[in-house]
Amino acid sequence: MNARAVTSDVLLGIVPIALLVALWQAIASFGYAPATLLPPPGLVFMRLAQQLLTGTFQQEIGATLFRLFAGFSIAVILGVTVGLAAAASPAVNAVVRPIVRVLAPLPKVALYPALLLLLGFGHESKITLVAADALFPILLSTYYGASMVEQKLIWSAMAAGTPRRQILFKVVLPAAVPSILTGCRIGLVISCIVVFLAEMITSTDGLGHLLVTAARTFQAVDMFVPLITISLLGLILNGLLQGLRSYLLRGFPEV
Amino acid sequence: MMLVRTLGARLAPLLACLGLLGIWQAAALVLNTDSFPPAMEAIRAIPSILGDKESLINILASLRRMAVGFSLAVAVSIPLGLMMGRSRAVASFFNPLLMVTYPVPKAALMPIIMLWLGVGEIAKILVIFLGVSLPVIYHSFQGAKAVEEKMLWSGAAMGLSAAQRMIRIVLPAALPEILTGCRTGLVLALITMVTSEMIARQSGAGNILFNALDMGQYDTVYAMIIIIGAMGIGLDAMFEKLRSRLVRWSEPGFEIPLSFA
Repeated sequence: MNARAVTSDVLLGIVPIALLVALWQAIASFGYAPATLLPPPGLVFMRLAQQLLTGTFQQEIGATLFRLFAGFSIAVILGVTVGLAAAASPAVNAVVRPIVRVLAPLPKVALYPALLLLLGFGHESKITLVAADALFPILLSTYYGASMVEQKLIWSAMAAGTPRRQILFKVVLPAAVPSILTGCRIGLVISCIVVFLAEMITSTDGLGHLLVTAARTFQAVDMFVPLITISLLGLILNGLLQGLRSYLLRGFPEV
Repeated sequence: MMLVRTLGARLAPLLACLGLLGIWQAAALVLNTDSFPPAMEAIRAIPSILGDKESLINILASLRRMAVGFSLAVAVSIPLGLMMGRSRAVASFFNPLLMVTYPVPKAALMPIIMLWLGVGEIAKILVIFLGVSLPVIYHSFQGAKAVEEKMLWSGAAMGLSAAQRMIRIVLPAALPEILTGCRTGLVLALITMVTSEMIARQSGAGNILFNALDMGQYDTVYAMIIIIGAMGIGLDAMFEKLRSRLVRWSEPGFEIPLSFA
């Protein structure tokens, strides 16, 4: 793929987004929708830029990001550990597999009321919810990645005299990294969604809370600002993960 | 031996359920607070919810909305995803838009959509539609992209038109991946359903759950959690059955455990 093709791809990709914004502007400026329902895009983006500079808005973003990262990190650590253990040991597998089959399809948001009652209305309940929702995609892709490792690689390592307990970290884990990262990507998107929802349900700060307060007072402009912010946060985090991926997988044939 | 093993595989999820309920029961007895009733009490509250005509209608209406939103989303997303997978222009046209919209929580659009469409069925179905379509598009895209060119060439050489190649080669080849997307979509549909009803607070399973929380009826809260959880597990099991029937050809017939430990 040469540089020219990439530029034309990027240009083509901007088209639908630009069209969407143009349509939005047209609906607003030709008066099909009153500004209380659909404020013009210029106003929304101005407001976003203005808000990004204020300290209180930055604090709200900080609160959301803190919960997102705390929950996501717990999910990554737990998911990778349990996934690897389940792939490596039949005994762990026998215990983990049925539990995962039951818990993975459970809609975790339904557990949120219970978490609220048990852990209170602070950070803990939201972090737990994020971790619970992001855990299963990461766990499952770690497990599949680790169990797809070619037996040849393990035999070669054993033939080269690698101690058995080191094979897990020197062969299986690196070989499973692409799959783990795919799981992390799904988990990250889910974390963004869930942290926002949890803040919408009950919270005193964070982006989700901003949206709810704006909705209660019918401030349409302020409703769009947190939505666009979480979308931007998701894009930035996804880009960072992509960077990490191409750094970690620099030796792999296909990224 | 074979029989024992399949029986074990069948019973294991059931045992896991019982085990989790057992842990819940024990934890509740140890903690002994009002806000965390033991599992038995929550289970005892289930018949009274399902027996109540109004809540039963509410829950069924939720399921119907979910079914409508899910099927619409699948019907639109699979063709779009497949086209993105086979045509670079279509892919680079839609991909950035999808990247931008993927991390937006769809249920968070509910307040805005409610402003436009009111609190009716359409708003809730639309939100579920949006939530389900993204993973399905994404996975259909990935699946169609990975189809071997050789198969398409042979199809073209045998005189299949572009549309026929799409339906008879790309669709079946991408099916395992598409169904993975549908499975993610199913879970997301449930999540979106619960949260959108929680936000709109008019009817549905999510409404019963969060109203009970607000009114402090803790056994109803936990009973609804069990009901919604059972819906998720039941739908997933049904989907898994359908999936294994459709794409049995793509799975290895046996599992090889890693041997080094």
